[in-house]
Amino acid sequence: MRIALSGNPNSGKTTMYNALTGSSEKVGNWAGVTVDKNERPVKRAFYTGDERLIAVDLPGAYSMSPFTGEESITRDYVRGESPDVIVNIVDSTNLGRSLFFTTQLLELGIPTVVALNKSDLNRKQRTSLDPNRLSELLGCPVLSTVSTSQEGFLELVSVAMSLKGKEQRAPFVAKEIDPSDPDAVRAEDRRRFAFVNSIVREVEQKSHRASEFSLSDRIDLLLTGRGVGILFFSLVMFLVFQISQVWVGGPIADLLVGFLEQGQEAVRGVLSTAHPLLVALLVDGVIGGVIAVLGFLPLVMVMYFLIALLEDCGYLSRVAVVLDPIFKKVGLSGKSVIPFVISVGCAVPGIMASRTIKDERERRAAAMLAPFMPCGAKIPVIALFAGAFFDGAGWVSTVTYLSGILLIFLGALLVNRVTGNYKKRSYFIIEMPAYKFPSIWGATKSMFSRGKSYVVKAATVILLCNTVVQIMQSFTLAFAVAETADASILAAVAKPFSYLFYPLVGVLSWQLAAATLTGFIAKENVVGTLAVCFVGLENLIDTEELVLLEGSGAEAAGIFAITKVAALAYLMFNLYSPPCFAALGAMNAEVKSAKWFWGGVGLQLGVGYTVSYLVYTIGTLIISPETLNVPAALLGLAAVFAMAAVVLTVIRRGDLAREMQAK
Amino acid sequence: MTLNEAAVGKEYVIESVHTEDAEMDAFLFSLGCYSGEPITVIAHRAGGPIVAIKDSRYSIDRSLAGAIVI
Repeated sequence: MRIALSGNPNSGKTTMYNALTGSSEKVGNWAGVTVDKNERPVKRAFYTGDERLIAVDLPGAYSMSPFTGEESITRDYVRGESPDVIVNIVDSTNLGRSLFFTTQLLELGIPTVVALNKSDLNRKQRTSLDPNRLSELLGCPVLSTVSTSQEGFLELVSVAMSLKGKEQRAPFVAKEIDPSDPDAVRAEDRRRFAFVNSIVREVEQKSHRASEFSLSDRIDLLLTGRGVGILFFSLVMFLVFQISQVWVGGPIADLLVGFLEQGQEAVRGVLSTAHPLLVALLVDGVIGGVIAVLGFLPLVMVMYFLIALLEDCGYLSRVAVVLDPIFKKVGLSGKSVIPFVISVGCAVPGIMASRTIKDERERRAAAMLAPFMPCGAKIPVIALFAGAFFDGAGWVSTVTYLSGILLIFLGALLVNRVTGNYKKRSYFIIEMPAYKFPSIWGATKSMFSRGKSYVVKAATVILLCNTVVQIMQSFTLAFAVAETADASILAAVAKPFSYLFYPLVGVLSWQLAAATLTGFIAKENVVGTLAVCFVGLENLIDTEELVLLEGSGAEAAGIFAITKVAALAYLMFNLYSPPCFAALGAMNAEVKSAKWFWGGVGLQLGVGYTVSYLVYTIGTLIISPETLNVPAALLGLAAVFAMAAVVLTVIRRGDLAREMQAK
Repeated sequence: MTLNEAAVGKEYVIESVHTEDAEMDAFLFSLGCYSGEPITVIAHRAGGPIVAIKDSRYSIDRSLAGAIVI
């Protein structure tokens, strides 16, 4: 049998679902964390009997008339899929609002049990509820629960199971009205709310008024101030990067890499009698490539841990408030902030979080711009280039994130200009949940679950890609052993693309082109492929260092050098060009329009190319003008102009179409 | 007057909500923000007020606050 968990946003449905099923779906302290339906069997520890019990977690909804996309998933599910039992999770600190939806659920005729969740917070605030009286008034069982400590879960599950097949009578039945008449609908909803208010008056005893100025309000007064708010947010993000990449993540990563390299050498020892080609393929290529990616695991895990803490304490909605006036200037709103912040971890959930944005144009813009925030998978790429070319300088990472933010703003302006949307009035409203102390255990679980998928990805997709790349690099098109890598299949396949990179790095390099191409499968592949192509990465070096090596075999095969500026430009192309296929899939699902999807991909490609070209050309002109590859620069300039011409044409065509419409 | 002019900490009764957007009106309704219901401004911020409706806090912008007459 199926039980559907439904209720208002941020009432603790997903926390309950995770505890019941042992899942680790994303939880957080803001309205709209869950944007899709999830279902899994309930753990056997919670019930007995032969019949399998399946829990369905649904996005939060305030009513049966959906306002945003994820709310309609909930409405459609409880209406169309008829679950056996509904568990209505009610935030007991907010009974007056929650019961409106409850009375609508009770009208569906599906047996329902109400879980008065967060009952621990009520005890703390000395608010008392009478579950027995509430049960009588609603005509369904009512239990007290605490999702975070699993209090009352056993009883809840057993009551829910006992309800299967029972009938549900509605305490409030809406009159037969014409649903297309807004006045009649409103009058009916007023009657419903009046009914709810009468119930609340009867069962709730509060020791204080909800509108009293609380500690949470005091903190908000400080954190939502214009100056302090932005400063505090910058500090928080700085700490997230500093802790994950330098203070904690970095040292652990060094230890891990040392350990992994010992393992690599041990394998080499075992294979000492094998064919050198096999050793190169297995040890340097496959294993080396995976190590290059796995070495960054600690950085990524520490970052996920910190982001989970941020999501859990309730601060994200405050960030949305602080940044709303700034984002409004470019046609977005504070609602877009959450997708962007989540994208720092991974763009896929980041893009999905844009579903909670009501305005269609803003939602699509947020979905296509979110990948400009460098994600966790791009950390290895950033760290690799920072380490190889800039002595591991911290500013490289800072610059990439700040550029990402800047590109989001510029991209939003461009989307605005193309869609011709300047004057449309938009409203902003966001719930400010009470702050809570973030759950260390929850963040740890989230960190390990994300870390696990990172390792799994390294051991599957990336391992496979590295193997393929290594094989392609070892053989010629005629499938003979390639004498030099330049004669290999990989070189032949990647060569045509290297002309695209010519204006960005000043040299023709099929290796760099190949790395970027594999990066579309997963961004970590950029590192893996470079590790395969430039064995162990020691051969990917700065031009200036190459001068020092001259005479000591610098012309030896495999050594490859680009300038510092070119390295930065190449890094930026990988960061700001279209994201991996998974993120593109998520983007396609959210924008729900082929035109917008391809427009978005075009925007990302154009922005990545232009930024990278400008960084290389202007940077080279400033630092060492004599090294500028002039034909390459002119070629790039032509490409950038061509792209600008396309954008201008699209804008002009849109303007004309709108003028026609206005007439 | 509208919420933008409301005194902090004082409980007002909502007179009307007119956002010229039927879905937004309905959404506000489902939060308990409709004529005849109480509303309190907790603080005025640069972007707009923070308000208490029923047992929750919401941050809204000035244009939305201007559509709520008290």
